Amino acid sequence: MSELRSLAVREQFATADQQRETATVGMWVFLVTEVMFFGGLFMTHIVYRLLHTAAFDRGSADMSIVLGSTNTAVLISSSFTMALAVHAAQEGKWRRLAGFLFATMLIGSVFLGIKFAEYYQHYREHQVPGFWFETSDPDPGGLQMFFVYYFAMTGLHALHMIIGIGVLAVLLFRSGLERFTSAYHNPVVIAGLYWHFVDIVWVFLFAIFYLPGLHL
Amino acid sequence: MTEPVVSLKTYTGIFLSLLCLTLATTLLAYLDLGVFNMVIAITIAVIKATLIVAFFMHAMYEFKLVHVILAGGVLWFLILVFLTLGDYLTRGWAK
Repeated sequence: MSELRSLAVREQFATADQQRETATVGMWVFLVTEVMFFGGLFMTHIVYRLLHTAAFDRGSADMSIVLGSTNTAVLISSSFTMALAVHAAQEGKWRRLAGFLFATMLIGSVFLGIKFAEYYQHYREHQVPGFWFETSDPDPGGLQMFFVYYFAMTGLHALHMIIGIGVLAVLLFRSGLERFTSAYHNPVVIAGLYWHFVDIVWVFLFAIFYLPGLHL
Repeated sequence: MTEPVVSLKTYTGIFLSLLCLTLATTLLAYLDLGVFNMVIAITIAVIKATLIVAFFMHAMYEFKLVHVILAGGVLWFLILVFLTLGDYLTRGWAK
């Protein structure tokens, strides 16, 4: 065990704790840059929403709340299995870790499937901004702007999900090789931080795109 | 500082709370409360995000530097929103 532990600490670190703290701080700093990345879009969305409030509400009313709320529950479930994967890694149970990593990837894929089914529905209804956009709305520009934000922000979120599933695939492979022990599993925890962050972004996307039109 | 370990019981409790909050925010959105629809939606989203950050991401149990970085991120976003809205809302463009 002591040998495994010394193998887990890379030579530039004095202790395993220092290594863990370095990885943790690095990931949190990265997540703050992600807050800035999504934050700009959220900010400009607020401004356009203020200028075209009624059109943004009507655009939101065109969303499927059944698919949207299901997807929120699906993504929260994937965060839960990710948390369980981290817990399994901390206990050094690599089979359970692999199982929960696979479950997280699977549930994440279900989310993407539902998301793309929604995109297809919008495409068929000519709600994709551009030449094909069709509407009889009194504020067609505002409505189109709603869909610009909808596709840009959920698309960027979906891209993060795809990257996350790729990261989990690498971890799944490495957990199969029994690379993670109760003493060394930083990559699992770090990937978990990323996955939960992507979940948080969706919580806000759900609130600004799906909920505002429900009372109409 | 050694790694924080969160119990399965806590994870399950947070998971169920998040599902309940999702149901609550969806049902509340059906009521027409004017400007408060958005206030409630964002408030519940912030509560959900806080639960995820504190427990799923272990932020509550982490060392101080993590808290400083997290606070920096939130503060930066609030500066962005408040200064930009301070401009837009005083131009009389929004109806």
